[in-house]
Amino acid sequence: MAAIETQGLTRVFRGRRGERRLAVDAVSMTVPRGAVYGFLGRNGAGKTTTLRMLTGLIRPTQGTAGIDGVDVAADRIGAARRVGALLEAHGFYGHLTGRENLDLTRRLLALPPTEIDRVLEAVDMVEHAGRRVSDYSLGMRQRLGLGRAMLGAPPILILDEPTNGLDPGGIAHMRRFLKTLPDRTGATVLLSSHLLGEIEQTATHIGVIHDGRLVLEGELARLKAEQTPRVLARTDDPARAAAAVSAHGLAATLDGDRLVIQPGADQGADAVSAAANAILVAAGIAVFAIGAEARSLEGLYRRVTARDAAMTQEEAA
Amino acid sequence: MWTVLNIEIRKLNRSLALLLAVTAPCLIGIFGFFNITRFDQAGPWEQWLLTSVGVWAFFMLPMSVTALTALVGQMEHSPRSWDHLRALPVPRWRLYAAKAVCVLGLVVLMSALNLALTYGAVQLAAHVKPAIRPTGDPELLKTAWVLAKVLAAALLMIAIQFWAALRFASFVPALALGIGGTFFAVVATGAKQGVFFPWQMAVNVMGEGWRHDTALMLGAGLGVVALTAAIAHLAWREAR
Repeated sequence: MAAIETQGLTRVFRGRRGERRLAVDAVSMTVPRGAVYGFLGRNGAGKTTTLRMLTGLIRPTQGTAGIDGVDVAADRIGAARRVGALLEAHGFYGHLTGRENLDLTRRLLALPPTEIDRVLEAVDMVEHAGRRVSDYSLGMRQRLGLGRAMLGAPPILILDEPTNGLDPGGIAHMRRFLKTLPDRTGATVLLSSHLLGEIEQTATHIGVIHDGRLVLEGELARLKAEQTPRVLARTDDPARAAAAVSAHGLAATLDGDRLVIQPGADQGADAVSAAANAILVAAGIAVFAIGAEARSLEGLYRRVTARDAAMTQEEAA
Repeated sequence: MWTVLNIEIRKLNRSLALLLAVTAPCLIGIFGFFNITRFDQAGPWEQWLLTSVGVWAFFMLPMSVTALTALVGQMEHSPRSWDHLRALPVPRWRLYAAKAVCVLGLVVLMSALNLALTYGAVQLAAHVKPAIRPTGDPELLKTAWVLAKVLAAALLMIAIQFWAALRFASFVPALALGIGGTFFAVVATGAKQGVFFPWQMAVNVMGEGWRHDTALMLGAGLGVVALTAAIAHLAWREAR
């Protein structure tokens, strides 16, 4: 059984004038147990709305969300018992200390007082615990929020943009922390972000949401391996280079002053690089650099979101 | 339920809501002291104590409830902690019921402080100016009973203010409602229909006959219904 599973999860918001806005469109996602699942999408793609449905904060218009096999709509409390969440807003009481804030949640969860020390240590906040939260930096609040989500060692952590407000050192620390969490505690982490680099370095699995639709999901290493890299070239005359390469039957486009060649299904990127280079040289075009694009999450992301946008346009037409 | 209530009480630690709960009755005590020392002759205890209850019921209670519910509401709205609380494995109605009990508890505390500080102010005034030492017995229990009825009649107004303060993330609607309600209660003091106006019920219960009975029954009865409905609505609705 997956740690988190949704089926056709949909949410429509209605504006003040009754206009309909589809925020999440039939999302069926599966977060395997023990995974660090990077939930990726640009701002407004539907990440937070999906997480809010998973935590029972808003009701789906259609579809179901299951946490550890428990249907969130049917048994919100049962599902919430299995989840620790760090949501977009920290929700700390500024007039209370960090320790007092944690203590409120600890009491609500009926946990022993020792839990506070355990999580403070885990997020490296022991020395700041006695200060009022109103004096905390954004990064300290973020760490305290993560600590609060970890109270009671829930088997599933849902973290909405956990590196927001952290300095570079804090981001690196958070990344290491989250990456090793499943091995240390057996927890499953669902991590939302719009930062590709952050997800690439932390996640074992990814889900890409674009305009409310889940357009890609799977194990990150496998998805990257399956990706056919594009060939990128920089020349002294990009427009003429694109025309020359296209004339030889290669699918070439321009991305700024960069020539992008998409190899066919039966073509290797290296072979296409060599062929394109020969075409360009023969046409008298100076080639500054040419080669296969590294297999990166960014490339994968760009490709699936562009494909989805094209499909949406076709559907609209 | 006790755990959630205990947490609400803990949240009051160093909060503005608690500061307000102490400050408002103090103002009545200070007013009482200067009011009494204006006189040259002694008056009965009942006169001073009921004057204080009147000021409380007429103006200070609705204004304090407006500010108190807004501050208690903002305690969660301002840092957006409803998301965190509502995502916890706790029945949501308990979160709101605990808040309501906490607000009512603070109003009871304010009423008790009002009585205690008025008693202290009269004693202090009599010490400073022995000629005005009040006559008769203070009859604190009788005054406490009047204050209890004032509180019961104010329940509908408290429920409305509580709902507005927790329903809207901005404090403006709750504040506008409270200020507007108090304003109309003050300018339409003598209106016969005032007894049906939630912000005037507390002061009407200090009267006699049908006004007293109507204000008490409507204020307390509808107050319980309104407070229950408010808790149910707040727990049921989606907080975006």
